[in-house]
This record gives sequence, structure tokens and C-alpha cells, in this order.
Amino acid sequence: MENIQLSVSDFVALVNQSLEYAYPVVTVVGEVAEFKVSQGKWVSFKLKDAGAVVNCFMSVYQLRIPLEDGMKVMVQANPRLNPKGYFNLNIRVVKPVGEGSIKKGFELLKEKLEKEGLFAPERKRLLPRTPAHIGVITSTESAAYADFCTILNQRWGGLKVTVAHTQVQGDPAADQMIRAINYMNELEDLPEVLVIIRGGGAAEDLMAFNDELLARAVAASRIPTLVGVGHEIDHTLADMVADVRAATPTDAAKIVVPDKQEMIRDVRQRVVHLGATMMQRVDEAVARNREALRHAYRSIEHELERTTSQLGALKLAIEQVNPAAVLRQGYAILRGKTEVGERIQIETSTKYIEAEITSAKDKGAA
Amino acid sequence: MSKKDVQENDNTTIQQEMTQLSEMIAWFQSDDFSLEAAVDTYKKAEALAGKIEKDLSELKNEITVIKQRFDA
Repeated sequence: MENIQLSVSDFVALVNQSLEYAYPVVTVVGEVAEFKVSQGKWVSFKLKDAGAVVNCFMSVYQLRIPLEDGMKVMVQANPRLNPKGYFNLNIRVVKPVGEGSIKKGFELLKEKLEKEGLFAPERKRLLPRTPAHIGVITSTESAAYADFCTILNQRWGGLKVTVAHTQVQGDPAADQMIRAINYMNELEDLPEVLVIIRGGGAAEDLMAFNDELLARAVAASRIPTLVGVGHEIDHTLADMVADVRAATPTDAAKIVVPDKQEMIRDVRQRVVHLGATMMQRVDEAVARNREALRHAYRSIEHELERTTSQLGALKLAIEQVNPAAVLRQGYAILRGKTEVGERIQIETSTKYIEAEITSAKDKGAA
Repeated sequence: MSKKDVQENDNTTIQQEMTQLSEMIAWFQSDDFSLEAAVDTYKKAEALAGKIEKDLSELKNEITVIKQRFDA
């Protein structure tokens, strides 16, 4: 190469070709400094340690977790010499390393999503009480998945469960889960609940669930979401944006379906209670009928008394005009012509008397 | 709807059966209650409860891991 004269452009191209051949991708760990975003599209920062500094460059869309000066990060990048003579790491992946930086990245993204209202209670949708079809996104090789299935089968039957197997930790995990969420949301036979689960692990193992794009995909799912990641104490951004958070994968199985043993007990109890209700209603009906009968009896009795009383009065009136009663008062009935010499019959209360008229005068003449 | 989520003899799901049972129970508390229909309705509710219990005990979940890969 000593005797070959190169133009500057050719030299830069040659260096890049050599770098691409020798170090297509490098993984470098360092501290972020002079972090800045230009025009809302381009991210640049310096990656440094005690002895050196290197320029880093990436698009804002590749940034899956917010960065801040002082954070320790690991980058996967293509080393490049740019035409202006600066050496850059063109970043493909950047993620915080170390407990402090992971926590910092989590807090920054949490604050950002919170400001957008993605954790707001009013966004949360209710899960159906007894779904017929659920979608599950997880690693089917995990103990968490096995536990989930065991509890699900113990608690409920007749479910259609569509499972998407994805990685749940490591660099590809977030993108795989995002693709699986999109897949589930495009199914013709749409699941009624989307369950995303993963067992416990170190903070770095759960980092995929703090990915910004994954959190946004969970929030945007048209299928209501239930996320159960890690142990009870673990909180990830994915479960914060989910409609319902489960403390563990086992807890997710308990939330997504009711317990059939509990339901059987409930059904039995309801039938027992129904028997008591029926007897109560029968007793009420019998009591109502008795009261109606008592009321009818009282009405009949009252009517009978009234009629009896009326009858007594009538009998008395009739008795007063009875001829026999008049005769008993000392009066008599006279039959025949009341002319002198005629014979008449006189009826008293006790006798019939034959008599001859010897005298008859008009009352007016007398 | 999963095939196993429906009953063998009809197209009613457990959820629909639970709704039917609730309606029958509500009838006993309603103004529509009549002594003539009470025993018959009670027997139906009892039979339905038995069927729900049987279905809940026997139905199995149908778990399918989809073949689609999500690594790219």
C-alpha cells in the first residue's frame, strides 16, 4: 500500500471496507456524555471511559429507552469513518447496563409514558369474566408457561387458547413480542384477552418488558391486555400500560378465568337458595289465599246478618197486617148483607158466630 | 368459539347457561312468579345447574401453539 496513492475519498472508503470486513459489529460498553437529539430525528452522544472517547450516532427511532448523560450503556454498532474524517460508531442497539442505569432508563421512560397518559386508569378496559378465546404471548419453553397452563386447566375448561411463542429476554425479545401482539390483533377469530407472561429474573432479564415500542404496542392493542411478568415485586412498563397487571404468570391464569370449583359451589348454593326462595313464595301465596278466604268469609257473614235483619223487619211488617193477629186484638170479621132481617156471619179470633140483624142504622143518621 | 366450549346436545355455552339460570332465579323474585309454574321452573333450574356442573367438570381447554415465527 505504501506505493499506492489514494484520494481522500478512496482512503475513507478503504478504511470503511476494512472495518466492515474486520469488525462488522462491535459491542462497546461506556458512559454516555453530551447526549443530544437534533431535528427530532438524529441522536448523537459520546461514549467514554477513563481513557478514551468515541462518537456515537443513531436515528431517534432506534432509541428504545431514553438516555441521559452519565448512564452506563452497552452499544452494538458498526464502526465507520465518515467523509468528514470523524470516527463514529453507528449504533444499532443501545441499552443501559448496571442496576443504576437500568433504573434510570426505566424512570425516564416511565415519566415520558406517564405524561402521555398511557398509565391513566380511565384507559383500562375490563377483561371478560369468562372468555371463550384467549391469546397468550410467551416462551413456550419456560416454566412460567407450564405453570400458567397448569393453573388455567385446573381452573376452567372449554377455552380456546392461541399461543404465540417468542423470546422473552434478550435483544430480539421486544420486537418478537411486538410482532406477536400485532399478529394476535389481526386474527380473524380475535381473542377476547391477550395475556403476556414471563417468569422472574434479574432486572436485565426483564428489560425487554421496559422497551418503549413494546409498551406502546401493549397500549395500542385492540384486544384487552393482561401482563404478568416476573415476581410480585417486579414492575415493568409493559404491565403498567396493560389493562390489567398480574403479579406473576400464575396470578395471570387466576385472573383470566374464574375457578370452576368455585363456580360449581356457587351454582349448588344458588339452587339450594332457590329451593328456600320457592318455599317462601309458596308460603306467601298460601298466606295471601288464607287472607282472601278470611275476607270472603267475613263478607258473606256480614251479608247474611244484613239479610237476616231485613227479613225480621219484613216479617214484623207482615205480621202487623195478618188478619189473625187483628182478630187476636179483639176485632171481628163480619160477612153478609148488613140489612135488617138478614143473617150474617161473625168471625172472632176463636169463633164463627151466626146472627140475625135486627137493627141497622147509618152512622151519620145516628 | 371453541367447539369444546359448547354443549354436546345444543349450542348453549356455559356463560349462556349461567345467564339462563340467573333468569330463572330472578323469576322467583319477580311479579311474574306463579305457583302453577313454580315447581316446573324449579325442576328446570335444578337440571340446568346439574348440567352446568357436569360441563364445567368435563370440558377441556384447547391449547394451540401457532406455527408463525416472530423472529423477523
